[in-house]
Amino acid sequence: MSELLHVLVGQLARLGLNYSFLLESHASGKLLDGALTTLWLCLWSIVGSLLVGVLLAAAVTSARRWLQWPARAFIEVTRNTPTLVQLYCAFLVLNMLINQSLGNANPMTPFAWVVLVISLHKGAFHAEALRAGIEAVPAVTLEAASSLAFSRRQQLFQVQLPLAVRFALPALVNNLIDLVKMTAVASAIAVNDITYASIMIWTQGDNVIELMILILAFYGLLSFAVNCAGRAVEARLRMPGYGN
Amino acid sequence: MPSEPLIQLRDVHLAFADNPVLRGIDLDVHKGQAVSIIGPSGSGKSTILRCLTGLLRPQLGSIRIGQTQVDQLRGEAELIALRKQVGFVFQQYNLFPHLSVLENLLIAPTKVLGRNRNEAREQALALLDKVRLGHKAAAFPGELSGGQQQRVAIARALAMRPELILFDEVTSALDPEMVGEVLAVIRELTEEGMTCVLVTHEMRFAEEISDQVYFTEHGRIVEHGSAAQIFGDPVHERTRTFLQHALGQGGQRPSRPAPDVYRNLGRYSLSV
Repeated sequence: MSELLHVLVGQLARLGLNYSFLLESHASGKLLDGALTTLWLCLWSIVGSLLVGVLLAAAVTSARRWLQWPARAFIEVTRNTPTLVQLYCAFLVLNMLINQSLGNANPMTPFAWVVLVISLHKGAFHAEALRAGIEAVPAVTLEAASSLAFSRRQQLFQVQLPLAVRFALPALVNNLIDLVKMTAVASAIAVNDITYASIMIWTQGDNVIELMILILAFYGLLSFAVNCAGRAVEARLRMPGYGN
Repeated sequence: MPSEPLIQLRDVHLAFADNPVLRGIDLDVHKGQAVSIIGPSGSGKSTILRCLTGLLRPQLGSIRIGQTQVDQLRGEAELIALRKQVGFVFQQYNLFPHLSVLENLLIAPTKVLGRNRNEAREQALALLDKVRLGHKAAAFPGELSGGQQQRVAIARALAMRPELILFDEVTSALDPEMVGEVLAVIRELTEEGMTCVLVTHEMRFAEEISDQVYFTEHGRIVEHGSAAQIFGDPVHERTRTFLQHALGQGGQRPSRPAPDVYRNLGRYSLSV
């Protein structure tokens, strides 16, 4: 493994790219740590955002006004303001307020704030994608379900949601790819993700271009993996004879 | 004297906003009968069926099916109890596109009636054979022709073992070649003694299979009687003209004006 790395670094040096920092344990350890942090950020916020999305979509398509309005207001505020500003507000204002009242008992770490803010932000986008899916389910299909004596709950879980998710899937995958790239905002509040780790390394050395290429490739691959996973789910849920 | 009817409608009124759709419907269906409702589009035929299964609620009048007073059902649980007894087949089939044909037949019996899955599966396969689609169990609705989807929809309704089935213009979305295969299935059901209420534009079919025929217009029953009487010797002029148009000349466009147009030529004006 390390021999392969040596060869690779040697080859890249011929192109004028100095990746020798990868051979130092300090820098490479920091990068690896950052990469893992980014992976965990993605994983937690994908789960979190999907949860938030389903709840918001349920609220916003509900017939109950008192559920509908707050959810709609939340979605509008959230998706019309920048994630970075939201993160600053959450971490610098809310976190400080919690610190003041709870002191050291504050359970929120910077990592948790990033997951929370991204989950809420992307959840608002998921909710809109899911709403499109829910509204695309033909009323007559639900009528068929109710004429087969399905309860409201069964209609929702057996017919409406399975169809809505299928309709919304391309838009959801789109959101998730965006989510992967969005995790870079974590570096703004010093969470040691791959972006922050890179910044820390290049401020001490002369390898900005090399690190840029590295993290762009990393995010690219990560997004691509999400894309592939999304395609696989799409293929698995495909309804033969419906669409294509 | 025949026994108590299975379905009884008395003076049923229903309006959508200010638009009255049913204006006093009386209708009886006895167990084992096939009853057809015919009439021009917009006369309230489908609305009657929707009231029967509780999808719509009349503002006035009484609807009884068996022991159930449909117009007084309150809450989801009571409606579900009714719908377990009453099958419904739609014009647009309305199969669940994300489920295979077999799963379409299994989902209600297993999830709603709580039947054993293996047992339900055997019954579903038998029903698919009955509608001559045994070889399509693994296919998805989107892969079937309209006629095949409609036969699956009938099998899906039968899988609930309902006491009666309502057919809402089930052949109207089909091309003529597929109409026959669907009607054959319905004919078989009526011969087996399944209680059927059909809203249909297939007059020949209605004449052939119905015990009773109701002719509706503008939300009222214009007349009803045996198929032979309605089709052979209708009492009302309106029924007569409707049937003439519906049956007349094999559905062809008349190549020349009807005789009475010539006779009344003076009443028509021609502007150039």
